[in-house]
Parts: sequence; structure tokens; C-alpha cells
Amino acid sequence: MITVGFDIGTQSIKVVIINDNMIMARVQTFVGFDPVQALQNAVQQVLKAANIVQTDVASFTATGSSVESTLYNAAVVSMMSAIAKAGTFYFPNARTIIDVGAEEARAVKCDDRGVMVDFVVNERCAAGAGAFVEAMARALEVKIEDMGLLSLKAERASSINATCVIFGESDVVSLIHKQEPKSEIARAVYDAMADRVSSMIYRIGVNPEVVLVGGGAKDVGFVASLKRKLGVDVLIAEFPEYAGALGAALIGLAKCKVSKN
Amino acid sequence: MKVKNKQVEPKKVMPEITQKEIDELQNTIRVASEQIITQTIERMKKAFPNRPKELDYFDEIANLFGKRAKEIEQTKKEGKKIIGYNCIFAPIELIIAADAIPVRINSGWYDTSKLGDRVVPVEVCSIIRSTIGAKMIELSPFLEQSDILINVLTCDGMTKLNEILSGYKETWGLSNPRVKDSAQALKFWNEEIKQIKINLEKLTGNKINTKTLKSAILKTQKATKAFRRLQNVRKGNAVISGRDAMLVNQTYMWDDIDRWTEKTNLLCDELERRVENKEWFCSPDTPRIMITGTPMFWPDNWKLPSLIEEGNPKGVLVADELCSSERLLYDPVAIDEWTMDDMLTAIGERYLMACTCPCFTSNDGNEDRINWLLTKAKDNNVQGIIYYVTRGCMLYAMEYTRVKRALDNAKIPVYYLDTDYTREDAGQLKTRVEAFIEMINAQMGF
Repeated sequence: MITVGFDIGTQSIKVVIINDNMIMARVQTFVGFDPVQALQNAVQQVLKAANIVQTDVASFTATGSSVESTLYNAAVVSMMSAIAKAGTFYFPNARTIIDVGAEEARAVKCDDRGVMVDFVVNERCAAGAGAFVEAMARALEVKIEDMGLLSLKAERASSINATCVIFGESDVVSLIHKQEPKSEIARAVYDAMADRVSSMIYRIGVNPEVVLVGGGAKDVGFVASLKRKLGVDVLIAEFPEYAGALGAALIGLAKCKVSKN
Repeated sequence: MKVKNKQVEPKKVMPEITQKEIDELQNTIRVASEQIITQTIERMKKAFPNRPKELDYFDEIANLFGKRAKEIEQTKKEGKKIIGYNCIFAPIELIIAADAIPVRINSGWYDTSKLGDRVVPVEVCSIIRSTIGAKMIELSPFLEQSDILINVLTCDGMTKLNEILSGYKETWGLSNPRVKDSAQALKFWNEEIKQIKINLEKLTGNKINTKTLKSAILKTQKATKAFRRLQNVRKGNAVISGRDAMLVNQTYMWDDIDRWTEKTNLLCDELERRVENKEWFCSPDTPRIMITGTPMFWPDNWKLPSLIEEGNPKGVLVADELCSSERLLYDPVAIDEWTMDDMLTAIGERYLMACTCPCFTSNDGNEDRINWLLTKAKDNNVQGIIYYVTRGCMLYAMEYTRVKRALDNAKIPVYYLDTDYTREDAGQLKTRVEAFIEMINAQMGF
């Protein structure tokens, strides 16, 4: 049975198409100013990549509750349920699933059935999310994709405040004036972000196995800092930025199977 | 908290604001507020097409600028004193016995909370900022009509609010102890209550005697009975929306108490008939949610209950543990002997010992609140609790960890939701509330 999941994030749209538990294709596009058009393009691309037509799809499932989610008669699930599903799909023993995106960070606790039993979301603050690194990279005049490797070169860590992107940026500027090495400032940025994310996770408990999904999982600098802060190994899913869309597709699949029986 | 002999000299700490600005802001915000009141009631009606008829009365009283404000104005003209209070510790029975009108003045306007930012930092909780803003532009009829204000010094916000408002009106800061398990604390509290009695007698010129006090206690006991009746009818399948029930509870804060009791009993008659006919508000498998935390005030602060009952998936609010709703009237004054001393002690105990406010502490934490939450959750078949905190409300925020541990042990899911009076974060809150309800559904195997 073929199902599609899509996840409209703050920066990009992710679409995943699966046939039972096999991933057929995945597509990511920028949201831009016309999310409806962007979503339609992404869905067309993914159908083409999987070499099927829309009528082959048994169900569409979206995360979040934006207006675009109602397109394709999509059922809506929360991002928390979606990442819980995707995390336990990749790692069946996952108990803590962390998702760090562009502007949101969240963590989900699962029981041994893989059912979500608790969750926590960053509250109106981007300091624990990707946008923080982006802003700091700008201040350091470093490309965002180079930040991670740069931070790994640091011999020690400087310290910045992670309560706010704006104030964090002025901390970075004062470190620049102190002529601290860029690598150490980069590491400080990740440490601050990991601090923020980990204190949020501690509210639901750090129960191994711990899985990291979302765009943040692709950033080696952040992953290293998070591992240090949590003191446990952090597993990274394959194509972690698609976890929300994949989870939605998997939930859609499960629902179709229930209603079929 | 003795009344000063000379008239309070205005010592305004509020920024100077011209009469023109006051008039303009008051007019704009009042018009906006009346619209919000109408819209919110419309939303509640829409959510429940077969809404009980007896709720119409409460819809009318819900207009803060309407019928009730006019009635109080009239009573005031006839010479009665109006006693504003900002916390349920204020001894209503004494106010009634002194032939004065009690009215709660906490403010629920988002627009006025922004005005409050001119006086106190944004870190201060919305309720305090909103009340300050309302005073700045003289928006709240009840606050303006009050002859004096009883401000209970429960938290830091309320304590400093008392100072700020004292520049405008005579205020009585009623100081409550932070512990219950101490004889001295109880003695201190009883003295505070006695002082309120003396103050009220002086202000109104009416002596509070055993006859008037007994009659006042009987009046609130009747109200409590009606109040509990409404809570009991909600223990089974939902027969009324949580928002409607919350509005009924909340109108008690400003309505005429006898009339409120009568109307609430009529509503309960209707609801009990509906239970017999199995006419439910929603499908019986809708997740049953309880809210606890910072009080929520009409009209702007209705967003969480609305999100719960209008979400996808939907939940139904079956109970709350809020001092703006179900904590208002739950406990009656329990009398052994109808002597003045016994009655005053009983009033003191009713307000202090029975209260589950997080301002109380002991070495075992605020046990009364935790036990009460567990009992309430069980009695009402609650499947999940949303712990609501407005930013800056330290007592509720700090008590969360202990409450969560107790709820985790009892296997009751709980979600901490922090916000303030802002309307703009409704989208983000919606996502969280829906995820929480989805989680309960998943745990139930739906």
C-alpha cells in the first residue's frame, strides 16, 4: 500500500512516499512565499521520482495544522506523533526522540510499545534551533555548512548565552572583539544551543536509546555538543530531516491498514 | 492592615496619562472587548448546537459592560458600598453581612496588559499587568465602582499590585500566611479576618452581628451547593462544554449571588434532564481533559479551553483546578455553633485551610493541591491534565516539577503549557494541545 507524508516546516517542505515500509522517494523544497504552490510542486516531483500517479496513493498525511495541510484531503497528525513514529521505525528501541529543526526543537518520550507518553517543545525561542546557528554563522562570516567542522577544531570552548538569538549574537560579537579563535566561538555556539535543547529534554528524562532527527542531526558540530551535554550516545537516523514526513506517511499507512481490516 | 484615619493621598506610580488618551484608549479597547465577548460566546454556541437554554442568562451576565455593571451602579447610587477584591481569600461572607457588594476585579484583557508594560516589566504576569492597564484607562466598571479594594498578598505580583493600586483607591492588603500547619499562622490569619470585619463595619456604617453574618453564610452555602451540583453533573459523560461551565463559574465573581444560585440550579435541572435523556455534548470517547494552574479570566483569557474543545483531534474540558473557576466556591463555611467567634473562625478556616493555592508550602510541598488534583482526576475520569502557566507566574511554574512527579506516578499524562495573554501564539499552542490530545488517543489505542 502506497502512502505519502508531508511536513511543512518553517524553511522547507519535505515529502516522503512509501510503499508499505519501503521508502520509494523523498523530496525537499523551500517553502518561499507560496507554500501551496511549493507543496504541489514537491508532491508532483515525488510522484514522478517514484514513478507513480496520484491515484495510486492510498492516503496523504500532513504534520501540523496549517492551511496547506488540508490539500490532498490529507489527514493531519502532530509533529510529535510523526517523529515518535519515524524514530521508532529506524530504531525500535528508541525511547527519547529529539527533533531539532530551523525554528523549533522538540523531544518525545516513548514507552516500550513505541507509543508517545510525554513531549516537550521549545517555547517561543529559536535559541535551541537551527536559526540560532544561522544567525551566529552570519556574525562569524562563516558558511553555515562549514560551522560544524570548524567547531570540531576547537581546543577549548568559549561561552555564550543561549537565552536569546539576538543577545547570543552580541555575545559572539564581543568574543570576536576579544580575538577568540573562530573555531572556539563556533563550538560555543553549539554548546549554547545544546545546553538549551538538553535542559528541555531533561524535563521528560533522557532514556536510551536517544535518537536525533531533523536538520540539526546533519550538523556534526551540534551532534558533538549534544552528546557531550547528554552524556549518552545519540543515534542519527538516515535522512534525518525527513523524519516528520516519514512519520506522517507511516501513520497514514497504519490507519489505512486498520480501516481495511 | 488597619485602615488609616486620614484619606489616602494619591501617590500615583503610574505614568502620567492625559484624559484624552484615557478616553481614546478606553473607548477603543472597550469596543474591541465587547466584540471579543460576543465572538467568544458565538464560538461556544457553535461548538454546541444544542446548547442548554439556561446558559442564555450567563451569556448576558458575561458582558462586563452590560446589565450587571448597570445594576451595581444603581446599588451604589442607593448608598451601598462596593468591595472589589482580587483573590478568593477575600471573606465574601463578611462583605455581604456588612450589606456591601463583593466583586472580583482581576483583569482578563490582553490590550490592557500591554498598557501595564508602561509601569512594570513584561516579566510580570499578565494578570497583574492587565489589571494595572485596566486601572490606567479606567476600563473595568467593577474596579472603578469599587469603594475600596481588598488585595490579598498571595504572591509577589499581588503584593506589589496592592501598592500600585493604593495610589488610586483605598486598599486593604490582606496578608495570608504561607503555611497552614502552624497554630501561630492560623491565629495571625484569624486576626486579619477580624480586622477586615472592623474595617467593613467602619466603611459601611453597618454592624456585622450574628444574625447578618449567619444569613450571609447561609447565602454562600446555598451557592456552594449549586456550584457542587454543577460539578457533579459533569463527572459522567460530558453534558456541557467545559467553556460553558467555566463561564458559569466565573460569572459568580461579579453576579448577584442569590440570582446566580437560582440560575445555576435551573441550569443543573436542565443538565440532569439531559443526562436522563442521554443528550451529550460530545461523543463519549472524546479525551477528558482537566486544566490546572494560573487563573484564567474572561474575556481574553479563554484561549486554552477553546483550543482544547475546537482542536483536531478534540478534547473535552471536564474539570479544572483554577481559582478563577472550580476553586471559587467548592468549600462551604462549616459551622459548629452560630456564635460570632465560631463563625469568624469557620470563615478563616474555610479560606485558609481548604485552599489549594501554590502560595502555600510545607516540608512535603503543597500536599493539599497535589492530593486534590489526584482526587479530582479520579472523580472526573480525567485522561490528561494541561498545566497552564502565564509567564511570570512563579508559584505555579515552580510547583510543576513536584506535581508532575505525582501525576507521573499515578500514570496521568500532563503537559506544561506556558503562555501569556497574547492572542498571537494561538497557532503554536494549538499544535501542542492537539499533540497532547493525540497522545492520549494513542495511549488509549485509538
